[in-house]
Amino acid sequence: MSSSPIAAARRRTELGLIVMAATITGAAYTLASLGKNAVIPPILVPFLIIVLGLLVVAHVANRVLAKGADGTILPLAAMLHGIGYVIIARLSERSAGLQTTWTFVAILAYVATLVIIQRAGDLARYQWSFLAVGAALLLLPLVPGIGNSKGGARIWVSLGPINFQPGEFAKIALALFFAGYLADHRELIASGAWRVGPFHLPEPRQLLPIALAWGFAVVVMVAEQDLGSSLLFFTLFVVMMWVSTERASYLVIGLVLFSGAAFAAWKLFDHVKTRVAIWRNPWPQYSGKGYQVVQAMFAFANGGTGGTGLGLGSPNKIPVAKTDFIFAAIGEELGLLGTTAILIGFLLMIGGGLRIAIRADRPFDKLLATGLTTIVGMQAFIIIGGVTRVVPLTGIALPFVSYGGSSLLANYVLLALLIRVSDSTARRLGETPNELTTQERLKAYRQRRAAAKVLP
Amino acid sequence: MNKQIRRLAVALLACYLVLFVQLNVLAVGRQQELNADPRNNRQTERDFNRPRGAIVAADGTVLARSVPTTRGDQFKYQREYPTGDLFGNVTGYYTFSFGSTQLELTQNDVLMGDTDEQKLRAIGGLFSGTDTTGSVVLSMRPDVQQVAADALGSREGSVVVMNPHTGAVIAMISNPRYNPADVAVHNSKRAEEVLMFLNALPGKPLLANAYQERYMPGSSFKVITTSIAFENGVTALDRQFPPSKEYVPPQTTDPIQNFGGTVCGGSMVEVFYRSCNIPFAQLAIELGPEKMVEGTKKWGIGEKVPIDLPAPAASSFGEVADFTDQLPLLAIGGFGQGSTTMVPLHMALVASAIANGGVMMKPHVVDATLAHDGGVLSRTTPSVWKTPIAATTAETLTTLMIGVVNQGTGKPMQLDGGIQAAAKTGTAQLNTTGPERSNAWIIGFAPATDPQYAIAVVLKGGPNDEISAGTGGKLAGPIAKTVLDYLFAHPSATGG
Repeated sequence: MSSSPIAAARRRTELGLIVMAATITGAAYTLASLGKNAVIPPILVPFLIIVLGLLVVAHVANRVLAKGADGTILPLAAMLHGIGYVIIARLSERSAGLQTTWTFVAILAYVATLVIIQRAGDLARYQWSFLAVGAALLLLPLVPGIGNSKGGARIWVSLGPINFQPGEFAKIALALFFAGYLADHRELIASGAWRVGPFHLPEPRQLLPIALAWGFAVVVMVAEQDLGSSLLFFTLFVVMMWVSTERASYLVIGLVLFSGAAFAAWKLFDHVKTRVAIWRNPWPQYSGKGYQVVQAMFAFANGGTGGTGLGLGSPNKIPVAKTDFIFAAIGEELGLLGTTAILIGFLLMIGGGLRIAIRADRPFDKLLATGLTTIVGMQAFIIIGGVTRVVPLTGIALPFVSYGGSSLLANYVLLALLIRVSDSTARRLGETPNELTTQERLKAYRQRRAAAKVLP
Repeated sequence: MNKQIRRLAVALLACYLVLFVQLNVLAVGRQQELNADPRNNRQTERDFNRPRGAIVAADGTVLARSVPTTRGDQFKYQREYPTGDLFGNVTGYYTFSFGSTQLELTQNDVLMGDTDEQKLRAIGGLFSGTDTTGSVVLSMRPDVQQVAADALGSREGSVVVMNPHTGAVIAMISNPRYNPADVAVHNSKRAEEVLMFLNALPGKPLLANAYQERYMPGSSFKVITTSIAFENGVTALDRQFPPSKEYVPPQTTDPIQNFGGTVCGGSMVEVFYRSCNIPFAQLAIELGPEKMVEGTKKWGIGEKVPIDLPAPAASSFGEVADFTDQLPLLAIGGFGQGSTTMVPLHMALVASAIANGGVMMKPHVVDATLAHDGGVLSRTTPSVWKTPIAATTAETLTTLMIGVVNQGTGKPMQLDGGIQAAAKTGTAQLNTTGPERSNAWIIGFAPATDPQYAIAVVLKGGPNDEISAGTGGKLAGPIAKTVLDYLFAHPSATGG
């Protein structure tokens, strides 16, 4: 297998950064253990080997399957994941054990995604299938018998021993559908043959599938009382419409629709009213539903600039600290410096994702990278903003950081798709040899065989 | 599409900037406010795992300290109170779930090493992990405190002893009292039970009665009435009060009587040491509401006693408006009955002011705060609270109070070794029907010519076998004598 200097440099950078991420994770893990129990964890060495080993597996997969891909977003994910893991381990050893298992599965899914999808463009063909899959995943928690509620939101599905949140995967399926459909129809939609006042709107026929998809997603999410996901889908839809049509009017329409929907939700649902009231002033509901937000504020204050030090704070006081409120736990023990590092981590990842989108030379690739990056960036913003009271709190996982298998698995698949888009672009730009993929070789072989039969 | 993607990047960057600003607000801007919120016990939790300095008496006796706990305890340090219930009302307690009181509350920053000066001093030892806790040194003497406690015995009441020239409190104890160690246990449920039990007790042991409670002063208040009369020139030492049995003040037909309905009169000196009531009712009426109220305000009555302990009480006499149409109330207020109430510590200050030439010093229990290395962080400098009377009036009152000890109701306070004391007794009648109850008071100082100690003793409202004008002296006098005799025999502490 030949390799180009550019691709080799990217992979070298990636390896270096991964070693750094693993070192940070190992050091943080040691500090947390020292802070909590005043002993160096006996499982430190095996732990480090496993962490480094898993990251190296992902890195090797990139070397083999995505030589030309961006070299920064995998290490960034590894760092966020590592810090999240340390905090989870510090909060609950049992959860840390499970999270280790999820990490295995997530890395496996990452490699599998890269193996199965060898060219990003291949995905565009399956846009309708993705719509169907996305819709099915969204509906799954509402199916009696397997769907169930935890903490108010009906977003869980139990199949035998396995519990998962299908919404985490639905968002990727919908991003794939939006990217595929909009790449095909964006000119027609943008031409805006239908005039309504000052706005040029596309013909309803063009808009219908995407509006249906979006409306469906939002309605289902509202039925499941999963406000964070509703907001995420809404943003994803508006951003992809705007980027694909290059018309700012979609932002205006989106804003108007959002304001209307938000107001209606506030009017119609008591739990939305409660959330907004707590966001504006959590103190009157300290002993009720405002408790976790206030505890998060206490945690940030207790952490101050430098934090209490890992293992030395009281993040167990925050309800659901290891999932939705993990950012507050980081704020308490690592302080403003730690939370800023997390913010910068996400910003760099957004930067990496959007750079992949800009470099991509095909509409589908561009839109897919934009959509996936928007998902990560907005999801992190929604939950961090909720925990810090910038926006009303809507429970959703902090990508890569929070405890939870579905979230971790979905985000590593998302990461693999971004890597794949990046690699496909690099191939077309000639930064790395555009070798035939395994599937293409197999196909070519079959065609030669067929041809040989026809023309002996 | 690239233009939109770049704008999207800027928009997301802006979103994250908002998050960054909000994080600064929470972690830095509002940090102190959030950390100080009573619902936030994170700081307390951390404090309980840090060392905490000691509170020590003037002679070095440890009154409160933190010791490392054995493995398995919820926290790393346990607060101890080696003198048990002797200083509970001064040190207060330090608990995890129920806050802290008294010096444990007000001196928290010094004890934890959190004052700015201590933090500055700690920078040198930042990496060597030096203990930065401070200690609080009191002006109080545990030996005197113990003598006062023994003299009180099981009776409900308070004893306050102080240096009249500096305002330094030497002993201050009240019954009933409690042992802060019982409350400072780490088991929150247990601590709650103890607190609930103590709160339910009738004598309010958690309240430092000596400075947080007030009692009707009875005749001991005559010191104040007399001082105001002298200051305003409405009486003189040679003024004669004709012996009388009854006095009908204005606005009523109900006469005022002397204690036990006796006939009482004579010179100013005589009526003061015999503690007649009628002359002082007359003096109050002669002064009138304005001058009387103004005079009590000069004594700091109506203001919280400015001691360096939390939540002191304020003595109370009344306002001009209360008396204009209620002159009989003013008349009985003149001899410390009616609505008049005094804080025991305040009465010790009254005695101190007379002993100190009319200057009333601010009372304090903290002599100094020390850094961990023994360096002085702060030292209390004596300061004046009020100057209620002129030096000449103080001299006159001293003469009157010597008479009380030598010829009058204060005879039980005649000290050993011929040391001349000056005093005034009080027996405040609490009820007119049912079994008789009274507060027994004595306030005074010694030696009369060169005062070194001022004292106030009150025994709270117990039933008395025989009530007379001398009851206060008979019950409270011996306690004052015991404490002062001990002080003159042991002018400086000889160790716990």
